Amino acid sequence: MQLKYGLISADSHAAFDRDTYTSRMSKTKWGDKIPHVVEVKENGERVDRWSVYGKISDVDVCNCPALMGEPFPTFPKRWDEVPKTAYEPLERLKALDLDGVDAEVLFPNPPGGTFFEFGDADFELDVVRAYNDALAAWARASERYWPLAIIPYLSEPGTIAREIERAAACGHKGINCLGEMPKPLPHLTDPRWYPVWDVCQQLELPVHIHGSAGLRAGASVRKWSGYTPRQAHSAMTATSAVTPAQIIPHLIFSGLTERFPRLKFVFAEAGIGGLNYVLAACDHEWETRRLWTEGLGTRPSETVRRQMYVNFWFEAEGIKLRHEIGIDNIMWESDFPHVASYYPHSWQEVERVLQGVPAEDRQKLLYVNALRLYGVEASAPEKAVQGAELRCS
Amino acid sequence: MQLKYGLISVDDHVQEPPNLWTDRLSKERWGERIPHIERTFGADRWVADGQVLLGGLVCRAAALMPNRNREPSLWDEVPPAAWRPAERLAAMDAAGIDYSVLYPTVAGLAGEAFGRLEDGELEVACVRAYNDWLIEEWAATSERFIPQCIAPVWPVDAAVDEIRRAVAMGHRGVVFPSLPMHLRKVPHISGPEYDPLWEACVALDVPVCLHAGASPELQYAPGPALGAPLAEALDAVTRPVSSVFVLSLYSFSRVLLRHPGLRLIFAESALSWGMLYMEWADHQFDHDGLAREGYDLKPSEMFRRQCFLTSWFDQIAPFAPYVGADHILWATNFPLATSTWPRPHETIERCFRGVSAEAREKILWGNAARLYRL
Repeated sequence: MQLKYGLISADSHAAFDRDTYTSRMSKTKWGDKIPHVVEVKENGERVDRWSVYGKISDVDVCNCPALMGEPFPTFPKRWDEVPKTAYEPLERLKALDLDGVDAEVLFPNPPGGTFFEFGDADFELDVVRAYNDALAAWARASERYWPLAIIPYLSEPGTIAREIERAAACGHKGINCLGEMPKPLPHLTDPRWYPVWDVCQQLELPVHIHGSAGLRAGASVRKWSGYTPRQAHSAMTATSAVTPAQIIPHLIFSGLTERFPRLKFVFAEAGIGGLNYVLAACDHEWETRRLWTEGLGTRPSETVRRQMYVNFWFEAEGIKLRHEIGIDNIMWESDFPHVASYYPHSWQEVERVLQGVPAEDRQKLLYVNALRLYGVEASAPEKAVQGAELRCS
Repeated sequence: MQLKYGLISVDDHVQEPPNLWTDRLSKERWGERIPHIERTFGADRWVADGQVLLGGLVCRAAALMPNRNREPSLWDEVPPAAWRPAERLAAMDAAGIDYSVLYPTVAGLAGEAFGRLEDGELEVACVRAYNDWLIEEWAATSERFIPQCIAPVWPVDAAVDEIRRAVAMGHRGVVFPSLPMHLRKVPHISGPEYDPLWEACVALDVPVCLHAGASPELQYAPGPALGAPLAEALDAVTRPVSSVFVLSLYSFSRVLLRHPGLRLIFAESALSWGMLYMEWADHQFDHDGLAREGYDLKPSEMFRRQCFLTSWFDQIAPFAPYVGADHILWATNFPLATSTWPRPHETIERCFRGVSAEAREKILWGNAARLYRL
């Protein structure tokens, strides 16, 4: 592909049209369990919500505040208010151009990504396939969309692996996975999941772990009843900063990264600074306890540089440490169209955060690392740095 | 205050001896419920009121063992420097440590163990015995030991009474489990019910020490198949950074705002995650419009007014400008497996590269001397 702006978002979110699942799943088999939008009453007001497996979602019908204007953040109450930019791939390309973004890695928007919670493996597999098919259509619509497959956790690992193979053949560039498996499934590092890691390693599909990643650690503290909704959101999101620091040590100390040394993990919307801690703390314990005598041959920081990737978008302080963290392991993300996004002024924030960063580092952070990780061939943008002219748009 | 080595270690642990509670609690009143050591299947472990303490270990002193991946299994194997003040002083001199701020072990690395007892009266009795013992056995041996009391978690009046009594006896800080509602059914720590506790600590001018590990549920637990040495190492990495949940809660739920004189020490927190957390918390604070919800300080401003992170292995230079050299403390974590003992100064030389002499002095002893009024 030809890069126009020199900016790739390694974490954006794709919403789906309201008929996405009803047009893809068997009505005879699943009836009203198929995800669809329904009208419900909330505090005397008529609002639209997704209904999945017969259960009405308790979140707004589309998570797209970056597209909703002032006052910020606003979430649509009715489906009619949802901008087509959120769910129509060709419409959305205009938004990417407005924001100066060449390509996006696509994570789910609710109700995607948590279909395991109904405990029905058969339903989960069908709805996951529908999701992966629908998102693959985005990649066919434009090479600027890089979709991530979701996985049917409740299925046998062989079935999960086959779904991953199928999704990869349809254009998916990685998988999205929880950092802590839903109960009562075995631990993330349990051998049960080896077939999943094996197929991802073979097909060179990075495994993506997003945000709080289903971590139960700290959940009760995030949900204090005294918070207003916005306070709870701040308190919850700010602690996502340590998601990689809770998960990466598991991947290393369990021996998983030694067993799958070419498997890549990407930590999205968790910032980059958690990686400083992982590098320092894991190496400290490895040395102090002489863990090579316990079967852990590789220095943890070498494993991190070899296999772990993190995203940034606002961390002006964090980016100063890019060489300690690993200049080849950091990618930019926009989180579009969620609340943390700077759309349509992403470049303004990029310039603020990357002030004083030399061109070679900038290119790695903004698009070179992403091209390499996702195996995309692209010619460089016509001008080395496009930010200046877009800054005031 | 006389400094010979230029290091005040703000987080070390004393090992409580087998007779601490049995000598000090009434046998008639409490009988077998008194914390004591039992030998089961050839290994010693602590039991109180039918609960096993310290994860079934008899002590935590791996830094003193020939192999740091093995703790002693019998009391007789516990190295003297873990539990004898005179031997500890010798170990401090050998390693170059001037003063040592003391935390418990059997009573919980974060002072949380007795908060799990259902009987509040037994809790108070166990806590008082520890606080008395630490003054009589450790503080009386040398002024180089800086004693800190523990406290019952509830009712708040009992906590306040014990803290007042302990500080009057010579305790210089309060080790309090950060999330007592995770220990037993007591009110949430963010509520106004605890205001008398914070007010008492402010009035007595003692810091409150929230040591990592008070709530295991803040950590992602290892898989069941992982062997003990690697599981222990993993736990040692996920524990310090779990402090972020506590810092976030005390900030966003306004405990810090309501008590501007309160000083919180995050012991065994490590440092390097702190900058990212603060940058992120401020960013989120702005995006969620919290200035309109009555906060007069951003999270990073609350931190820089009232909080301290404690490190023992992090690089300082990248973080000191943002976190603030006035808000970083240094420790050896003696005698836990993660400790930099017996050569803490080697680690210090590596970690303090590129740090000004002024900042280095603050972090290694100046801030601690101010907090503990040395």
